[in-house]
Amino acid sequence: MAWNELADTLLQLVESVSPDAGSGLVVTEAELEMPLEVSSAVRQGRLVFCASAPHSRWKAGFLPPVHRTRIRVEIDEIPEDGRGR
Amino acid sequence: MAGDGSFLVEEFIDSITSQLDRVQDSLRVKAVNRPLTYALKDMSLELKVFVELDTQGKVRFRTSGPNEAGASVVQLGFTTITKPMIEENTVSLAANRSPSLEEAGLAPDERLRLERMGVRNVGQLERLQSSAGVQSVARLAEVPVDRLRSALVLNRPKVTGVRPLPPQPAPPVVRPAPPVQPAPPVPRPAPPAPPLRVPAPPPRTPSLPSRPPAGPPVLKVQPGTRRIALSGNRLIGDDGPASVRLNNQPLGVSEADDDRIVIEMPEDHRGGALEISLPDGTVAAYELSVEDGESWGAWAPDEEYS
Repeated sequence: MAWNELADTLLQLVESVSPDAGSGLVVTEAELEMPLEVSSAVRQGRLVFCASAPHSRWKAGFLPPVHRTRIRVEIDEIPEDGRGR
Repeated sequence: MAGDGSFLVEEFIDSITSQLDRVQDSLRVKAVNRPLTYALKDMSLELKVFVELDTQGKVRFRTSGPNEAGASVVQLGFTTITKPMIEENTVSLAANRSPSLEEAGLAPDERLRLERMGVRNVGQLERLQSSAGVQSVARLAEVPVDRLRSALVLNRPKVTGVRPLPPQPAPPVVRPAPPVQPAPPVPRPAPPAPPLRVPAPPPRTPSLPSRPPAGPPVLKVQPGTRRIALSGNRLIGDDGPASVRLNNQPLGVSEADDDRIVIEMPEDHRGGALEISLPDGTVAAYELSVEDGESWGAWAPDEEYS
């Protein structure tokens, strides 16, 4: 199984909140709570955390444990100079 | 990360934080081309881990594997904070300038016990002992008092060397050719200021009545010396760099770092009493003497005298 880095998984989750362009909907705030399978690895001497959606929705004998995760995303207000906070 | 897959708690926090930073940076970049973007405000994680203590007494986590029961659940919450909050809740960079406990010669087990008391460098040790007393710190950390005192001496502000600096090159000036006249004698430029051996200032202890009091060490500089570099330790305090006075007149500081200060001398100074007031209130006094010294040789930038 290919593991995603935690940052990539979180970016995909944030992306999933955005409605389709032209739908006329705007999501201003969202809270997501989901299980993640978490593993750790070392890359260039640094600890890297990987996180992915669970293998299966079913409980089986030798699947990695899932770790409950909750994230809150909000619309970001970009200042006019575009530099952010 | 150890061979058994366990990792230190601080490594874990660092790793998660860098991943969250990457998420924020990516979202920010995305905002350049999109009218609407999101920011990750906070994240919490219920991490199932086995908590272990290694041989050095450090707590390590190991994520639970398949079919491993009995893992502890660590609830971690990460949220976004503002820059003032960071400054309020973190140790300033200036506080990390002092020597580490390892540089102070403390043994690993002594360092570990001090780190558990929130002491990671000699500056923090000094701050703790000023409020709790060195005896209390020694008793709580189980470190001999003598070892703590010798570590504290290392962090004391001091001047270890003084040397004149060569004059800064002036920008070239284009002048019209002068009328033809008999050539006046060409003055020879003064040789650059040589390095000086500066004896350490005398300790501030009362001299014995049988001996006359020793005068301050003499610094010899050549006429025209405009800049003098002081090297030492903790030359910058909370209120700014050490102040330097020549005959009670304050001198300007052109460069200041924790271990080096460059002072500007008056244009036509004739030497006198040079006093360096260090951040802890001690004063290093020297007698500045302006003398021609052709026998001193050329200025050597790589040499440091103390």
